[in-house]
Amino acid sequence: MVTLAIAKQTLDDMLRRKVLLILLIVTVGMIAIGPSVSFLSPRESSSILRSLGLAMIMIGGLLITILSSIQVIPTEIERRTIYTVLSKPVQRYEFVLGKFLGGLFTVFVMIAAMGVVFLGVLWYQEKHLAAEMVKGVMLTFFQMMLLGAMAIFFSTFLTPVVNFFVTFAIFIVGNLSSVTESLTNNPNPATKIMANIIHFVLPNFGNFNIQNKLINPTVEISNENVFIMQNIVYALIYSAVLLILAILVFDKREV
Amino acid sequence: MPAAVSIQGLTKKYLDVFNKSEITAVDNLEIDVEEGEIFGFLGRNGAGKTTTIKMLLGLIFPTSGTATVLGHPLGDTATKTQTSYLPENPYFYENMTGWDVMDFYAKLFHISEPVRSKRVKECLEDVHLDPKAWQRPLHGYSKGMLQRIGIAQALINDPKLLFLDEPTSGLDPIAHSELREIIVNVGKKGKTVFLSSHQLPDVELVCSRVAIIHQGKLLTTGTINDLTAGEKVEIRAEGKLNGALEKIKSMADIVEVNDTHIRIPSADERNVTDILDIIRSAKATIIAVMPHRRTLEEVFVDTVLKEGGI
Repeated sequence: MVTLAIAKQTLDDMLRRKVLLILLIVTVGMIAIGPSVSFLSPRESSSILRSLGLAMIMIGGLLITILSSIQVIPTEIERRTIYTVLSKPVQRYEFVLGKFLGGLFTVFVMIAAMGVVFLGVLWYQEKHLAAEMVKGVMLTFFQMMLLGAMAIFFSTFLTPVVNFFVTFAIFIVGNLSSVTESLTNNPNPATKIMANIIHFVLPNFGNFNIQNKLINPTVEISNENVFIMQNIVYALIYSAVLLILAILVFDKREV
Repeated sequence: MPAAVSIQGLTKKYLDVFNKSEITAVDNLEIDVEEGEIFGFLGRNGAGKTTTIKMLLGLIFPTSGTATVLGHPLGDTATKTQTSYLPENPYFYENMTGWDVMDFYAKLFHISEPVRSKRVKECLEDVHLDPKAWQRPLHGYSKGMLQRIGIAQALINDPKLLFLDEPTSGLDPIAHSELREIIVNVGKKGKTVFLSSHQLPDVELVCSRVAIIHQGKLLTTGTINDLTAGEKVEIRAEGKLNGALEKIKSMADIVEVNDTHIRIPSADERNVTDILDIIRSAKATIIAVMPHRRTLEEVFVDTVLKEGGI
């Protein structure tokens, strides 16, 4: 009850933040103007529309996730609203989980809104429901869940500005998993160790990007359902570990 | 009667990274607050009042020393079901309505419907918040209305012990007076109130006991009566004192004689018995013996300046 109450309060608060709403409107607008790329051949137009839509959802989701997650706990401390919450019978883990879930619900609502517009645009253009695109939108959501958990973890001990750059940088590096994987075979021991740390410790955000398969039917994943499930389980486990670490740090933090 | 709050040697030090030194915010504090009393916790800005309250609430952790709240050690979550806190200049979720924010805080105490709605209504009524404002977002509330919400959220769990940090600061005189009355009514219900305030006339009116701290150290603690009791006494008498007047003049700096009326405005407490004996032996009538009382403000200023320094 306590965790859900905090999550609901956080969701209500987030959905009123102008910066997040503007990001949502801009992203939805970008998706909506996709069909204006009509000077290409029907085949190219369809690929570009799908590529643009999924990329927009990822970029919009990325900014919304980072901006909401990096602030959600520091804002409570800065505005001192945390005093009236933690002075009540609220465990600190309930507070962290409530804040995370509130941010997650926010990201879900916003990605769902973008996804609905995206599918609507595709339906308008192609006159049929592109149901397979739901997989791409869904994986983007789980990618953002992992990113949000990471931002929450860092927010327990970093300032929002530092957290923004750290989380953003890890997202970029985590998307270059194929590069870091190849560097693990580098003959230079120092490079090899660094590459191993980066590749195996940092979250592998690149695995969530299945746009290539969705856009180009010629690209195949041997077992798509297993691949998607593996990524979802990976996101859930990694997020859980990050949240446990966040709780351990926050439990010792003075507010 | 068991202590509602018992503080033993509580100390809080912060590390000053730039100067590589330690700052002592609270220094070996020893205070007991009895159940059912309204206890005033006084000190200048930065004296360590809020730091002490935050330690008692488990928001920050003591460097050394210990304390119990309602008999339980610090940080005990179960204790928090029976305590409440109004921070100084509280900020609430301003997009929520007065009702919603109260409903939110009630949920944190696991209060289920229909009791929750009943409690929310009762608390909003107790603090005299205009019902028309209940469904309005808090960002449209005045400072006085926000303080009422602050007190109301502190009452939502019907607590045994309330920590109020500057509850009347920055309010207009009417709101100030009303909130003071609310605190008095809370005390009348048998609740313990730990009141940190700069409003010394308020403290004098509502508190039974106070503690004065300065630079983190306890300077004095005691009942308002004991602390404000003066060392001077005014004596009034009627009758002819004749030769006795000279004896009295040797014991008191000022003696006013008007026909048969004698007034000794500031006799030293140690000489009062002797003066009264002289008056009685002269067959004069003692009309009044009135001890001078100091205000709490005078006590505070004297204590801090004389004992604590600036």
